[in-house]
Amino acid sequence: MPAPVATGAAARFDGEWVIDVRNVDKQYKSGLLGRGRVHALRGIDMRVHRGSVFGLLGPNGAGKSTLVKILMTVIRATRCDGTFLGAPVGDKATLRRVGYLPEHHRFPDYLTAAQVLDFYGALSDVPRADRRRRSRELLELVGLTNWSDKKVRVFSKGMRQRLGIANTLMSDPDLVVLDEPTDGVDPVGRRDIRNILARLRDERRTVFLNSHLLSELEMVCDRVAILVQGVVSSQGTIEELTRHSRRYEIEVGQESPAAVAAAVSSLSMNVPLSVSGAIVTIRTDDPTAIQPALDALRARDVVIRGVRPARASLEDLFMQAVTDPGTGRAIAPGAASAARGEAGNAAREGLGIETGARS
Amino acid sequence: MRATIAIFIDAYRELNSRKLFWVVLLISLMVVGMFACLGIDSRGFTFLHWSIGVGFINTAVMSEAVFYKQFLFTELGVKFWLGIIATILALVSTASIFPDLVSGGSIELVLSKPISRLRLFFTKYAAGLLFVTLQVGVFSVGSFLVIGFRGGVWEPRVLLAIPIVVLFFSYLFCVCALLGLLTRSSIASLLLTILIWFVVFILSASQTGVTVMRSMAEERVRLLEEDIARRERELERLQGVEQAPSLAAVGNSILVASKVSRLEDRRKRLPGAKSALRNVIWIDRGMRGVKAVLPKVSDTKDLLERAILTTEERERLIRDAEREMSSIDMGGDDEEIRVDMGKVQRQAIERKYANPVWWIVGTSLAFEAVVLGLCAWVFCRRDF
Repeated sequence: MPAPVATGAAARFDGEWVIDVRNVDKQYKSGLLGRGRVHALRGIDMRVHRGSVFGLLGPNGAGKSTLVKILMTVIRATRCDGTFLGAPVGDKATLRRVGYLPEHHRFPDYLTAAQVLDFYGALSDVPRADRRRRSRELLELVGLTNWSDKKVRVFSKGMRQRLGIANTLMSDPDLVVLDEPTDGVDPVGRRDIRNILARLRDERRTVFLNSHLLSELEMVCDRVAILVQGVVSSQGTIEELTRHSRRYEIEVGQESPAAVAAAVSSLSMNVPLSVSGAIVTIRTDDPTAIQPALDALRARDVVIRGVRPARASLEDLFMQAVTDPGTGRAIAPGAASAARGEAGNAAREGLGIETGARS
Repeated sequence: MRATIAIFIDAYRELNSRKLFWVVLLISLMVVGMFACLGIDSRGFTFLHWSIGVGFINTAVMSEAVFYKQFLFTELGVKFWLGIIATILALVSTASIFPDLVSGGSIELVLSKPISRLRLFFTKYAAGLLFVTLQVGVFSVGSFLVIGFRGGVWEPRVLLAIPIVVLFFSYLFCVCALLGLLTRSSIASLLLTILIWFVVFILSASQTGVTVMRSMAEERVRLLEEDIARRERELERLQGVEQAPSLAAVGNSILVASKVSRLEDRRKRLPGAKSALRNVIWIDRGMRGVKAVLPKVSDTKDLLERAILTTEERERLIRDAEREMSSIDMGGDDEEIRVDMGKVQRQAIERKYANPVWWIVGTSLAFEAVVLGLCAWVFCRRDF
């Protein structure tokens, strides 16, 4: 990765909130005469801090792409208050400072990689000299230098995705919005994309990431929001969202289960404690709170094989958010229903998550 | 401005990538080359240095200048090649512009740029017209040179074919753009555009036919009225002659009776002819009303003929058409009230030329403005 991501940002956005939207609502008309209504988004509140990497996740049909498209003026919201890079949502001039990679994007296949960057750069009002220079730098950044004069039609899906990433950076943007950026990219490419995201964050650029790959989001995101059936199910830093699931797991030897049971029953701790096979779980994030348990186990000569802090993964959070606690099944994809509101609330209560949390 | 230029450059690159663009351009050049090989002399056609004797076309019928300007360039080149074949090929090439623009994965890339939807739409539309402009430009410049070198007339008005054909194509392209936005399908928009073009052509041709019928009906009423007036005067003269009873007087009274009978026959026919005229006038007005709101595809192409032919050349063409039609015998009527088809033909042509340019272009552009307004409304309001 030898080349710089971008140079010479002129008038950078210096506000605190890159995205600060409230009551984002979208209803689609349906049916032959348009009398039917599909409620895709139901009053979303979302704030994205400048310089952060923000992850938006949710099941298919949750409204993630609709929300992104509203911000990018591809879809008109039924209602949307607040600002996007300091201007009202829908302001075209603001888009000069945004790089956007849509999901399943399709570049004109008669263009070469360099021409793609030149064309979309010109649409973003980037001067010609800058386009030429940046085009070279960005193609090098995404590893397509030797393909700059090749037509896009011969590119593999992964190469198109790399080109798409380069394209989002052409206008030297304050905000980069990526919809499934690692879709179709091999592991090496994914690592490269993660590195690019890290560099963007280091340059105090904001990244808004929409992805199904939860492990990847976990690796790069400062904050996440989980969208389920058109509402924000939970929102916050991964630290905040997993606070209630933090625990210590003590792995013990299997030689004397009776001694383990005796040690556990002798404890009078004010944090929840459970035993499952060779694992004793203590629900706390305070290391001093587990010392009495360790002492009790050791007093009964129980072998302690290991002690490790643990918390719910993003995938655990996601699965809990999209599971109906009443039925234990995944909530049906698509727009919200009346029943979903209750189920979603119950799920959030189960997780102890703040709804639509404002940071 | 930077974005607008980029869209035009992209449109050129897109055209450049399409084989059909180069195929049509090549055929256009071949047609011009063919024109250069053709000519006329006193015997008939010439092809390079060969002479092919035909009776209906030679320098006695038309000059070399008229042969190249009117027959080859206007009738074959513009009305047939550019006006039909090249137009269909151009529609095939450009029908996918708007469906491609609004296709998933592509539209997000452009709508997320700092360019308004309205500007994006109209720039794309103008870029689509670039195809025809280049095609017609090459054809017209080539034809200008052929007419100059072969016909001996350097006629810059030939280059008026460029705006006229682009204007004509724009009537169809705006419909194609609207259908492309609504259906998002290149094939559907292409086929429906050609269907609408066909319907407009049929309506226009029918209106021309009705105009001819109107001229015939007017001529018939005029002939009947003149004949009745003439017979009344004659009868008055005959009845006014005082004659002593004699053989001549008997003959005169028989003649008068015969004239009265003929006069009554004409008088009986007159209301029917007037009624037919009234009906055909109503149909003609109705069709003109319908035609007024539709694009004048044929009339627009005829503008070129108006522009490049001199008054004498046009009068000569009308005379030829009049002479040709005069030989047609409609039959049925007595000679006095038989409609002269040559005269009717002349009236129909003169009526066609009487349509002012502002009416032809203005009403067609009004249609185009309405369709483009609809396109812009759909494009600006739609969620993609």
